[in-house]
Amino acid sequence: MISAQSMLNVEVAFHKAIRANLVREESDFCTIAPIEPDAPGTLQGHKLLLITISSFVFRVIVIFRIIDNPVTRAYYLTVNSPQTLDEVFAEVANMCGGRLNRELSVQFAHLAMSTPYALNSECMAFLDGLRPEYVARYGVTINDSVQLQATLCMCCSRPIEIAASTAAADEVDAGAGELELF
Amino acid sequence: MNADTDVDNASSASKRAALVRKTESVTQAVADIKTLAVAFERWHEDLILMTAQSRGLNEMGEDLSRIARQMIMVSINAAIEAARAGDIARGFVVVAAEVKTQAQNVQTLSGDIGKTLHQGELLTAATFQDIQAGGKMLMAAISGLELMVRQLRSELGEGTDP
Repeated sequence: MISAQSMLNVEVAFHKAIRANLVREESDFCTIAPIEPDAPGTLQGHKLLLITISSFVFRVIVIFRIIDNPVTRAYYLTVNSPQTLDEVFAEVANMCGGRLNRELSVQFAHLAMSTPYALNSECMAFLDGLRPEYVARYGVTINDSVQLQATLCMCCSRPIEIAASTAAADEVDAGAGELELF
Repeated sequence: MNADTDVDNASSASKRAALVRKTESVTQAVADIKTLAVAFERWHEDLILMTAQSRGLNEMGEDLSRIARQMIMVSINAAIEAARAGDIARGFVVVAAEVKTQAQNVQTLSGDIGKTLHQGELLTAATFQDIQAGGKMLMAAISGLELMVRQLRSELGEGTDP
């Protein structure tokens, strides 16, 4: 239902969203590499955050997995912040999902995004139950220290084609930033 | 000539009146559809409850698994003590072995229940989010339709309030 080129185009848009939003500073170094699924029962202490971008004929489920350890906390939490890692990362993930949503909105008029939702990490083993058209799993490393995972899961009800990302989303992105400031 | 103009004017006024009536019907239909938001809120609340229940069941399953593990330890210790006691406790060795078997069965069942609950939790959350996003999508489409109707009413010289 979705061509290899379309999958690649979604993945490129996803990588763009990750690089733009999962880092705290623009100068932070972010690497993204494909990974294999983890064996069930090996995800103790990990947290999942789910975001869905829906259209009438497809949905993109984005799953972020973070490890609540001192390295992750030191990176995402500011000193004396009253917010927890869960709260801060939900905002970060929301921005990342929002960016992907805007990228896809350039091509699909009717598209909307859910709010983030935290899940037990063991749920990750049952992604096939959502009958995805394809799943792409990535390990994300920031500044060679912070490790997290980002999974893209695409479910289609009808055949779709997704074109390569354009600069239009960047323009919308810049506009959205200004709106938030004012 | 005047008679023709009168007929044209009457026809035009009649068409306009029909258009206004249709626009009013569409305005009412859009207003009715907008109450879908109430249904979305209801589904949202129900799904939050379902997810909370699923989490509660998961915690109960983990408790059950913990109890089963303790029962296995107790049965092993009982078997050791019975072996020390010799022939007099032979029957107790059998009982301890049976307790251990049953505890292991409970542990397996608890693991299977946990897997099913995790699967359900993911499905529920994904469906919940799809409905939530779908609701936003639908409301945006309805708002677009509402705007078009307002523009049409404005062009017809009607008020813009629905």
